[in-house]
Formats: sequence, C-alpha cells, structure tokens
Amino acid sequence: MPAVEFQSVTKTFGRDKAVDDLSLTVEPGRFTVLCGPPKSGKSTLFRLLVGLEKADGGRILADGVDITDLPPGGRNFGYVPQSFALYPHMTVFENIAYPLRLARAPSAEVAKRVERSAAMLSIGHLMKKTPDQLSGGEKQRVAVARGLLTNASVFVLDDPLVGLDYKLRERLMDDLKHLCEELQATFFYATADSLEALTMAQDLVVIDDGRVVEKDDVLDLYREPRFARSVELIGFPKANVWNGTARDGVVETGGLRFALPPDVPDGTVRFGLRPEDVRLDGAGEMGAKASVRIVEHLGSEIVVYLESEGMPMTAAFPSAHAALPEIDAEVRIAIDPERIMIFDAATGERIGRAQPHKEAVAHG
Amino acid sequence: MVKVVIDNVTKKFGDFTAVDSLSTTFEDGAVTCLLGPSGCGKTTLMRMIVGLETLTSGRILFGDKDMGGLPPRKRSVGMVFQYPVMYPTLSVEENIALPLNQDRSIDAAERRRRIDEVLDVLDMRDRRGAFIGELDAGSRQKVAVGRAVARRSDIVLFDEPTTNVEVQAKLALIRAFKLVTSRLKQTIIYVTHDQTEAMTLADHVALMRDGRIIQYDTPQHLYAVPETEFAGWFLGNPGMNFVPARRDGDGVTSALGGGVYTPERPLDDAAEIKIGVRPEHVRVSARPRPGAVAGRLKDMNVGIAGRSIIRIALEDFEIKAKVDGLDGVRPGDAVYVSADPEWTSVFANGTRVGAAMKESAEGRSTVDGA
Repeated sequence: MPAVEFQSVTKTFGRDKAVDDLSLTVEPGRFTVLCGPPKSGKSTLFRLLVGLEKADGGRILADGVDITDLPPGGRNFGYVPQSFALYPHMTVFENIAYPLRLARAPSAEVAKRVERSAAMLSIGHLMKKTPDQLSGGEKQRVAVARGLLTNASVFVLDDPLVGLDYKLRERLMDDLKHLCEELQATFFYATADSLEALTMAQDLVVIDDGRVVEKDDVLDLYREPRFARSVELIGFPKANVWNGTARDGVVETGGLRFALPPDVPDGTVRFGLRPEDVRLDGAGEMGAKASVRIVEHLGSEIVVYLESEGMPMTAAFPSAHAALPEIDAEVRIAIDPERIMIFDAATGERIGRAQPHKEAVAHG
Repeated sequence: MVKVVIDNVTKKFGDFTAVDSLSTTFEDGAVTCLLGPSGCGKTTLMRMIVGLETLTSGRILFGDKDMGGLPPRKRSVGMVFQYPVMYPTLSVEENIALPLNQDRSIDAAERRRRIDEVLDVLDMRDRRGAFIGELDAGSRQKVAVGRAVARRSDIVLFDEPTTNVEVQAKLALIRAFKLVTSRLKQTIIYVTHDQTEAMTLADHVALMRDGRIIQYDTPQHLYAVPETEFAGWFLGNPGMNFVPARRDGDGVTSALGGGVYTPERPLDDAAEIKIGVRPEHVRVSARPRPGAVAGRLKDMNVGIAGRSIIRIALEDFEIKAKVDGLDGVRPGDAVYVSADPEWTSVFANGTRVGAAMKESAEGRSTVDGA
C-alpha cells in the first residue's frame, strides 16, 4: 500500500492552478524527491498533504486512509516547511519541543524525544542556546529536528537546504539519507535543484506546472526518461534539448545528420541529448564541427559549452579522459545517434531514439 | 592594472577575530576567488579592500599605494553585491551608464562604445531598453556585472553575486562573467562559498578558514593536492573520503587496503592518521580482487555528467565512489573497494604529509567484472 496517494488533486489560487488534477503515489520506506522549477506546485502539494491548504478537488490518502478532510492535527506527518520560523525567545530545546508541548505530552516523554531528535541532527550541544546564537546551518538543523520529532512514519521536507552553503548542504544531505535508513521511514522531499534531487532520490518525481511529468526510480528516470520535459529539468549540466525537422525520415540539425525510426512521421520533432553523450575525443561516427564557447573545470568533470552551426551544445566528461579544450577552439564533436532521444514535439512524449544515417556528416 | 597587497591584516569585532594576521597578494589582471564557508572572514576581508570596514591592524595596498584612511569612493574599485542596488525605473542601458556619466573624462562617443561592448559581451543588446523591474534576478545581476566593469576601474570585487539567482540563470551569469573578465583584464576578487564556481572562474583560489588563508593555489592544484583535510573535503562534489589509517613501520596502512604508503614527512607518534581519496579515485568491482576490501553497496545515485555516485559501507566507516559503470549491482550487494595509490594523500592531524600522488597522471574510477 502506498504511504501517500494523491488522486486527481487540484488546488487553485484565483486564476492560478497551483496543483492541476495531479495523481501520484509515494512508496513506503523510500526516499522520494519531488523536483521541479520554482512555482511548479511543490510547496502547495506538501501544504495540501499536511493539511495547511484545502484541495478544490480530488482525494489524498495516507496508508490507504482518506485524509482529504482531516484537520492538520488529525494527520500524522513530520513536516519541515520551506520557510521555517524559530521562536527567538525560546531555547533550541524548547523550539524543538514546541509541537509536543502543544500536544501536552508528559515532560519525561518530551525530554526523551527531543534528545533523540537532536542527537540525530548532531545538535545536542546547542540545546541551551537561543536562535540568535546559531549559524544558518544550525538553525536549519533545529527546524529539521523539530520536524522529525513526531512518531510519524512519513516525513515531508520542503526544500530544507535551500540557501545554505554548498558544503553544508552536502553534509546535511548525507545526514538525511542516514536518517531515512535509520528510521526506516518514508521521506518525501522537495527541491528545485536537479543535482540535489539526483543525489538524494531513490524515487524521483518530476513536477511542472502543477502536474507530475513522470515518476520513476532515479537511475531509470535519468537514463530512460519518457518525456522531453524530464530531460530538460533533470541533469547537471543541463541536457541538450532542441527541435528539428524530419524530411523523408532524415534530420539535419546543427551540422549533424541522422535518421529517425521508420514509424516516426516527417515534420517537427524534439530531441534530447545528455552532455555526457557529446564526445570531443574523436570517437564515434557521426560528427560535426563546433567551436568552444566556455570551458568549466569542476575538478573531476569538465563541462564544455559549444556551438555547432549556430546551435548551442553542451558536452561533459570525466576530467581524466581528455585534454582541456581552449576557448574559441574549433573541435569535432562526435555523437552516437542512438544516444539522441526523440520526442513528439506536441506532447513531449518519447517516441524512440535516432538511428545512424549512411552519410553521417552533413557538412564538411 | 594594479595588484592588491594584503599586509598582515587583522580585523576584530569585539572578542571575535574575523580576519587573523592575513598576508597575501591578489595579482593584477587575474581572477582570484576568496573561497570558504560562512563565517570564514572572506566577506570581511573584501569589505576592508573596498573601504567599507576599517582595519584593526595591518595595511592594504593597491600597487604600492597604501589605502589607509581612503574612503571607498576615492579607491578605484567596482563592486557587485549579493543584492545589487539597481534603479528599477531606469533601463538596462541607463543603469550601466550611471557610473560612466559621473566620469567627466569619458565623452559621449566613448560612453556609447563601452556600453555597447558590455551589452554585447553580456548578450543583452536586445534588452538595452528594458526596465530593471522587468528582468529576472539573473538578468539583473548581469546588468550589475556590466555596470561594475564598464567603469574600467582597476579592481572589481564580487560578493557572492549568484547567491540569490536560480540555477540556470546562475550558469548564464557565470558564462557572462567569464567572457567579461577574459576581455577586460581587470584585477578581480570574487568571494564565494561555492567551490564549483571557484573552480570554474578563478585563476587562483585563496581558500579561507577561521580568518586565515589556508591554501593559495591554482584551482586544479588545489583540487589535486589539498594541503589539509579541510581543503580535500571542501573542494570536490562530493568531497574527498577520509579513511582511518595507522602507522606500519615507517609507512602507513589504511582500512582500505592498498599496501603501505610512505609519507614524505616523518610522522609524529601520537598523530591521528587518515588517508584521503577522492570519490573518482576509488576503484570498485563486483568481484573480489587482490588488495581490495569487501564492502556493501548502500545506494547508487546520479552525479554531474550522469556518473554514478555510490555509497559503500565498509567495516566501520562509509565511503563514496564515482563510477562510470557497475551495472547489475544492487543496493545490499557485496562490492570490492580499493584506493588508487597514485591519487591517495596521507594526512596526519588534518595536515597533508604527502603520498605517491602524481598530479598529471591519468586517474579514474574503474570497474571490473560487473
């Protein structure tokens, strides 16, 4: 049984459909990440789940029980909101304990649970401090500790690391993964950062315009995406996605020439190509000339932003595999046609992969 | 063009020492990133260079000229802030023109030329008439970059200009920055906590911690040869793994196998010894092999450029590896792990004591027998 299930849920603010006839299941014991651009509906979906917003239509189930009309207090979720507030006049201990105090829990029980929660986030030494004595990262940990305090089996974390130093985020990402393992709980986590999503997720949900684009195991979603929008939104560096025109089953675009599968009709088609599938080492049959615009050395990877016949193209590869190209250099890019994903231009749905064409090089 | 010399500078706020007896030189015509976590003193150092903060002791020189007592407007410094002050009712062009209008040595034709050049490099020619209020955060920052460099001041300082910009706009901004700086050759000091940004933008990186520069290096060398565990962890995505190790005669053996390492410097008897190995230099296989240690695959995720990032549980610690294969292995399965000895550093009490590392050698995670 899914830990959480949304059935055709809609939420409108004025004319704006924040969540649009959305259906989604979240599996128990999994770390599920909801990833989409800002204002794609992530926070609204979470607020609907924990009962801070009321759905205009559809049903929300937790462990198979309909909770659509339950007040927030009747729902059992650990929740870390995106903009959390700590009470400035209370100690860290009291800030974390607040939900239990509201529920009039006995103080021995409060102490035990606050301690456990604080220990998981390594903030036991901060208990007597007040929020103004904490760094940004420490405050964030306090907010997460408060969210983890409940005996819930589902934890809802709305972009809890946004705005933190990158390295602190890396550490907290590790902590949260360990927590999910330790508690054997369901984590439902939102972020707009696709690399964070790819790093954290077991299951990845791509959300856009208040709708689920697709949901899958993170590796499957990255390798075999079913929609062009997933390719655009998920992956670092950003994938190459562009439109081209097929004539007699052949496409010429950006200096490349390749064939479409036989069942794809001529006309406009959409292409998706991961940066790691654009090679600069000369291997591969289908090639084109390109000029180097920007080279980014990221330590273990190199990202090269190119232009081929006016078309921008991004390549990325492990830094040990190739020499660093110079800016403005002319290079040959090589692509295995079968790495090019083909999508229906109207629906964005994947309809296949490109095929080699007997004259692989369109120009020169 | 002018270099910036920091001569034994200290800055205290009450009992707190934000910048601690710091000396360094920012070379002219180069981009230097001040990199470090929140609270390391990087912003304070920059504010002292601009003249927004007084020094508790020490000197700051531009070339050979002591800046002591000079107010910000008397220093030839352009600055781009985290939250730039922009005039929402003025156009992109008018915002960039503002500092130029105040400089009487620039005539109208020259002003026009410089604005065109900046708009060109920023790829914003077609937005020149747009009002600032109509732009997204990334484009506003691009205009701020344009305004700071159009003045052609000797020194331009950037204070985390990409902090409030969403990821894709950030990349566009970084690209614009690279184009602008490679053309205009000013002395650039760029403050950031983002190591990827520093690796991408900088000619030199000054890595800061607790008010001091702990390593000043080229990005690649800083990445390959971190002098401290902190530097190894701070650079890298994810950072370096640190594995418990112990003395074995004159050498060091680690819980990751791989034989005996001989450090370049003698080891203190009481030192806490670890070996450091970057995730891309961890060798992982699905089958046992000589020298490899058995572990259990915890999970597999996706990193930069689609490489698999895996976590492996070993006896009493956990490491991360970046691999380009390893298909068919599932979480919970046994895997066999070793460190690429060429790319392994030995640390004693947090400081690098050397290893058999070759900077220019080819190194990568390899996968056998999956």
